[in-house]
Amino acid sequence: MNSPTSHFVPPRRMGVYDPIHQISMWEENFRSNVSLSASTLLIDDAEIKFDNQSEYASHGIPGTSKQYDQEANRLADKIQRRLAQNREAARKSRLRKKAYVQQLESCRVKLMQLEQEVDHAKQQGLHIGGTGLGSNSLGFAASLNSGIANFEMEYGRWLEERNRHTLALRNALSSHMGDVELGELVDGTMNHYFKLFGMKSAAAKADAFYVMSGMWKSSAERFFFWIGGFRPSEILKILVPRIETMTEQQRSDISNLGKSCQQAEDALSQGMDKLQQMVSESVAAGQLEEQTNTPNMSTAMERLAALVSFVNQETLLQMSRILTKRQAARWLLALGEYFQRLQALSSFWANRPSKPAECLIP
Amino acid sequence: MVHDMVSENAVIVFGRRGCCMSHVVKRLLLGLGVNPAVYEVEEKDEEGVARELEAIGGGGDNNKVQFPAVFIGGKLFGGLDRIMATHISGELVPILKQAGALWL
Repeated sequence: MNSPTSHFVPPRRMGVYDPIHQISMWEENFRSNVSLSASTLLIDDAEIKFDNQSEYASHGIPGTSKQYDQEANRLADKIQRRLAQNREAARKSRLRKKAYVQQLESCRVKLMQLEQEVDHAKQQGLHIGGTGLGSNSLGFAASLNSGIANFEMEYGRWLEERNRHTLALRNALSSHMGDVELGELVDGTMNHYFKLFGMKSAAAKADAFYVMSGMWKSSAERFFFWIGGFRPSEILKILVPRIETMTEQQRSDISNLGKSCQQAEDALSQGMDKLQQMVSESVAAGQLEEQTNTPNMSTAMERLAALVSFVNQETLLQMSRILTKRQAARWLLALGEYFQRLQALSSFWANRPSKPAECLIP
Repeated sequence: MVHDMVSENAVIVFGRRGCCMSHVVKRLLLGLGVNPAVYEVEEKDEEGVARELEAIGGGGDNNKVQFPAVFIGGKLFGGLDRIMATHISGELVPILKQAGALWL
């Protein structure tokens, strides 16, 4: 669609009949031409008639001059009417055009805003619906909360660092790095995870709901989301098989750890149920920001989220106590790769071309 | 009154009424097979009870009591963090057994 703004000529400079030129440019949209052209034709007709009448009059006999006057008046009326209609049509066209231009303007502003948001997100190192690791859906509301915007920015950097650690672990294991050096790498990776827990706690203070719903994560990761994070027991179950050789003591310790995690998770899940119940009741009763309930509620949520992070942290620590440095390296590598694959899966699914409905269920 | 409760019970949880975090502690202990005594503190009594518990203390240098607070074997054990940490590391169950809160 061409933009009429490039041809825009202010109406004031035109005479009454010039609108036809202006209007014909956006004819398809505004269909106003019909009545106008019709009016001009009629006026032409009237003029011809008038001329004929005047010819007739010049041969005139006194008796016919009265009739001539009446005809002339009627004609003048017609002309006036046509002119009025013409003006009205032109006015309406101008109004329509104004509305159209205003609509375009607001779309333009919106587009600029969206472009800004995309740039902002790209700067944060997160990929929008794209190639690379994961299509994170940035919470649209998130950019309004500086604590959350901060968190998302930091998370982008945290992800890059995590990927570097994973790569380093892979290289270290395949190159048979010495135990001391490997130990340092393992400690560094673990501390990096602890850092995330701290970040999440701070973010929970800014917006507890945001942290609880895992908005910064890729869609596949959110599929496994428990309470503001992953279930430690799940992580153990998935990743322990990746560590090939273990002593009996280690197997037994890890089995106990798994059990403890499960028990902790059950208790936390029940705490979460209670919290949800409390929030639901409060909201249903219409007790919102004004009530003293709410500070307690958000505090409860923060504490619960922090506790989940804490349990994750303790689980990581306990694993590092049970495993040797080399085993821990393999485990952490597996962990990093697992998350990377989840993110890649999200991205892959998000960017598939849409399939037509494959079956019709009667 | 508080003092008696602490000394008479192997395990007792002091928590705010209706608090989710207290609920988590209770469910965890129950899941382990412990039947803890529970004292629900009203909001208005919080300050007073906290101070009483701190006086009983016996849990270490930093005696500041936060709810929920768990006492094991008559001594202040700690809050949720300590409970979770010791549970994950496997230390909690032996402590509970020693205090006579668990028998298996």
